[in-house]
Amino acid sequence: MDVHDLTAAYALDALSPQETEAYEEHLGQCERCREELVGLSEAATALAFGAVAPAPPPQLRESILEAARAERTNVVPLPRRRWVERGAMLAAAAVACVAVGLGVSLSQSGPHYVTATLSVGSGGKAMLSTSGLGAAPRGKTYEAWIIPAGKQPQPAGLFRGGPDASLALRGSVPRNAVVAVTLEPAGGSSAPTTTPIFSTHA
Amino acid sequence: MARQLAHLSDEALVLLAARSEEPALAELYDRYGRTAYGLALRILRDPALAEDAVQEAFLAVWRTASRFVPEKAKASTWILTLAHRRAVDIVRREQRRRADTLENAPEPAVEGVDEDAFLRLQRERVQSMLRVLPDAQREALELAYYGGLSQSELAERLGQPLGTIKSRMFSGLSRMRELMEEPGTEMSWTSTT
Repeated sequence: MDVHDLTAAYALDALSPQETEAYEEHLGQCERCREELVGLSEAATALAFGAVAPAPPPQLRESILEAARAERTNVVPLPRRRWVERGAMLAAAAVACVAVGLGVSLSQSGPHYVTATLSVGSGGKAMLSTSGLGAAPRGKTYEAWIIPAGKQPQPAGLFRGGPDASLALRGSVPRNAVVAVTLEPAGGSSAPTTTPIFSTHA
Repeated sequence: MARQLAHLSDEALVLLAARSEEPALAELYDRYGRTAYGLALRILRDPALAEDAVQEAFLAVWRTASRFVPEKAKASTWILTLAHRRAVDIVRREQRRRADTLENAPEPAVEGVDEDAFLRLQRERVQSMLRVLPDAQREALELAYYGGLSQSELAERLGQPLGTIKSRMFSGLSRMRELMEEPGTEMSWTSTT
């Protein structure tokens, strides 16, 4: 049996448990199959949208969320180091709330994880600090946005990124607003033109 | 409440779910729960079993979100793959347990279903792509994906060598992939856009 041949069947879940095991082991060592699988899996998943989709019973949503709540044990500890430093900077402003966002950044070296810490002081003055965000590519800039609940995003300042970056946000952050960061053409945009790299609730 | 997250990408929602942010799971369910349920129902032909499959799939999302690697797959592909896998596991288990096969149960009817307009459009696009495929390839994809048949079962059912089945599945999926990439047929898979 040539294991390379199993990619399409694997994408369709059409392998026996033994074949699945053998293929997954092979996948760990075969770059070509991993690449091929990405495309074939997307094609297979398109078939999911080909089935008639009646609304599920309304109680299913609550049942899932209830079960998830019951097993809320998978909390990932977040780096708090940044928060402590930036928090100290805002001490005079009496930090009212802190939110931490986690996102994915795409750079030349591929995607990697980014943490962003938002410290909001009294009066809505806020400091955003990021860690792990690569420097913005040539001709681009990072732009922060304040998105008050139910409103359009407001530009809140530009920054270059880099391993550890921070930005005092322009404007105040209302309660329940979302703060997001996007990559924009140099000079910034008046409204976001790309998907947020990350965003967090204030 | 969960709709406050409506502007986030699927991938960002998975990252939030990995941090046990329940509204992120709720938002992912609002985006893909209905498609997952429709798929499970097509495979299982039994609403209670379909609910089980969807519930197990979303709990798997919740439990394993921290292991999701965005560069390996789109979040929607990952979620619907989990739902498909659960439904196939259940259909194989049930078929071993029962004398009759679930396959003989009636297929969910299209008529009378109060279908979301956007999802109906998506469905029609997928079905039109399937119609482009040679019959043998379409049959292999449908029996595998919606029927939950393994490649060996397919070979036996269709009286074809295993190698033929493998190449039909491969050619069929590759062609689907090409059709998805053609300009004008590009699809957005979320129902919230």
